[in-house]
Amino acid sequence: MNFNRRVVVWFAAIVVVVNGFFPAVWILLTSLKTETELLQVPITYLPLDPTLDNYVLAFTAQPILRFMWNSIVVAGLSTALCVFVGALAAYALTRLRLPHRNLIMSVLLAVAMFPLISLMVPLFKVMRELGLLNTYPALILPYAVLSLPVCTLVMASFFQDIPPDLEAAAMIDGCSRVGALFKVVIPLSAPGVFTAAILAFVNAWDEFLLALTMMNRVNMRTLSVGITLYQGEFAFPWPLISAALIVAIVPICILIAIFQERVVGGLTAGGVKG
Amino acid sequence: MTDAPVTTHKDLSERTLGVLLLLPAALLLLVIVVYPIATLFWNSLHSVDQANPQTGEFFAGLDNYTRAFADDRFWSSTLHTVLYIVVTVPGSLLLGLGLALLANQPFKIKWPVRLGLLLPWALPLVFAGLIFRWFFEYKTGVVNDWLVRFGMDPPQWLSDPTLAFWAICVAIIWKASSFMALMLLAGLQTIPKSLYEAAEVDGASKWQQFWEVTLPMLRPAIFVALIFRTITAVQTFDIPYAMTGGGPGDATETLAMYIHKTTLDFLDFGYGSALATLMFLISVAATSGYLRYTRRSSGRGKDD
Repeated sequence: MNFNRRVVVWFAAIVVVVNGFFPAVWILLTSLKTETELLQVPITYLPLDPTLDNYVLAFTAQPILRFMWNSIVVAGLSTALCVFVGALAAYALTRLRLPHRNLIMSVLLAVAMFPLISLMVPLFKVMRELGLLNTYPALILPYAVLSLPVCTLVMASFFQDIPPDLEAAAMIDGCSRVGALFKVVIPLSAPGVFTAAILAFVNAWDEFLLALTMMNRVNMRTLSVGITLYQGEFAFPWPLISAALIVAIVPICILIAIFQERVVGGLTAGGVKG
Repeated sequence: MTDAPVTTHKDLSERTLGVLLLLPAALLLLVIVVYPIATLFWNSLHSVDQANPQTGEFFAGLDNYTRAFADDRFWSSTLHTVLYIVVTVPGSLLLGLGLALLANQPFKIKWPVRLGLLLPWALPLVFAGLIFRWFFEYKTGVVNDWLVRFGMDPPQWLSDPTLAFWAICVAIIWKASSFMALMLLAGLQTIPKSLYEAAEVDGASKWQQFWEVTLPMLRPAIFVALIFRTITAVQTFDIPYAMTGGGPGDATETLAMYIHKTTLDFLDFGYGSALATLMFLISVAATSGYLRYTRRSSGRGKDD
C-alpha cells in the first residue's frame, strides 16, 4: 500500500469510529464528573476529579437492575417466539410448493409497514380488556410480531440456499419433513437464524413507545423507559443520567462486540437478498 | 410436468404441512395486528371518550375525521412530521453513504470500524435523544462550548422552535445513518471489482467511477434503505420526546406524539383512532411514492 492510500484508510477508520463512539464517550466522561464540576463554565472535557458516586446513585435512585431484568425477559422471550414462528413460516414459504406464496410474502411486508403508533391505540385497549397491562406478555407478543416480517425474510433468504438434496437425504434416513427442518435446514442456516435473532433482540431492547404505554408500574418498566425516570421534574442531573445510560448500554455493547461479525455479515446477506 | 400425476398426493400433504407451519404466524398476526386494526377503524367511526365516560360510546360517522381536518394541532403536527421526513431521510442517506464508502476501505483490523457502525444502530432511540439533548444544553452543552470558542453567541437550542427542530434533525440523522450505512455497505460489497478495473482501463477518474459505477450499482440498496427509513420517519416519536417533549409549546410535536397524547393523556380513543388511521394513510402514500418511482426508473432501465 502506498503512502496516500494508507492516509485515506486511516482517515476513513478515524471518521467512522469517532462518529460511532463520540456520544458514548461523552456520557462516559460525564458520568465520572461531580454535579459541581458539571456547572463550571467553560465546561471541562476530562473529569477533574473522577468519582464513581453517580454509579452508586444510579443503582439506588431507581431499580435499574429490575429494569434490566424486565428488558432481558421481554427481549429474550419475544426473540425466541419470533424466531421460532418465523422459522416455521420461512420454511413453508421457501421449501414447500404452496399456492399464493407471493401474496403471503406481501401481506407480511404490509404488516411491517403498519405504523406501530396506529397499533398502539387499539392494542392498549385489547391488553387492558385481557387484563395484561403491566405483565410481560403485553410486550412479548407485540415485539415478536414487530420483528416477524424482517426475521422471516432474513431466514427465508438463507433457507433458500440449502440444497434440497440434503433435506431429501435426511428424509430417506427416516427423518420427517419437520424433523428435517430442525435437524438439517435450521442448523445449516445458523448464521441466518442468528441474524434474525439479533435483529429481533435489538428491536425489542430499544423499543420505547409500547413499553411506555403498556407498563406504567415502575417495577415493570423496561430499560429504555426506566432511564427517563432519572430526570427530575425540572432539573436534569446529567452525571446521574449518564451513569444510568452507561449501565444500560453495557449489555447491548457486550452483545454486539461479541457477535459483531455475525451481525454485519447477516445484515449484509439479508439486505442484499431481501 | 411429466411427474405431475405422481406428486398429487404429495402436493396435498405439502399443502397441509404448509398451512400448519404458517398457522402460528397467522394467529399472532391476527391477534396483534388484524384485530387491533379492525378495532382501530371501528373506533375511528365512534365517539369513544374515556375521559368523559358518561357520554358513552356511540356511532359518530366521519365526525372524528372532520374534527381532525379542522384541528390546527393535527395539521401542525403533521407538518412537523413531513418536515422531519424531508430533512432526515436525505440527510441520513448522505451521511450513511459517506460512512459506508469510508467503511468499505481495506482495513487490516476490522472490529473498530464495525463497532463504529453498529453502536449507533444498537443504541435505543430514546438514549440517543437524551444524549443529544445534553449536547445542545444552553450553558453546559458541548455544541455551545464550541460555538463560544469560535466567538459566536450561544443560542438557546431547545427553547427556540426553529433551532429545536434542527437540533432534533441532527440527532435523528446521526442515529439513522448507521443503519443506512450498514445496508449500503452490504450493497457496496456486491459490486464486482472488475467493473472498477474496466473503468480504470477506460481512464475514468475516481469521481467518474463513483458516478458511473458505484451509484448505479448501489441503486437497489439505496432504494431499500430509503423505504425502511421513510417508514420509520413517519413514526418519529422517541427522539423529539426525549429532547423537547414536543416543545417549546408544541413546536416540535410529531403526529405520533399528538396521537399518543390524545389517546393516553386525554383518553379520547375515538379521535386518537381517527388520527392513527390518517397516519397509516400518510405512511402508505409515502412508500407508494417510492414504489412508483422505482417502477418508472426500472422501466426506463429496460429501454436503455
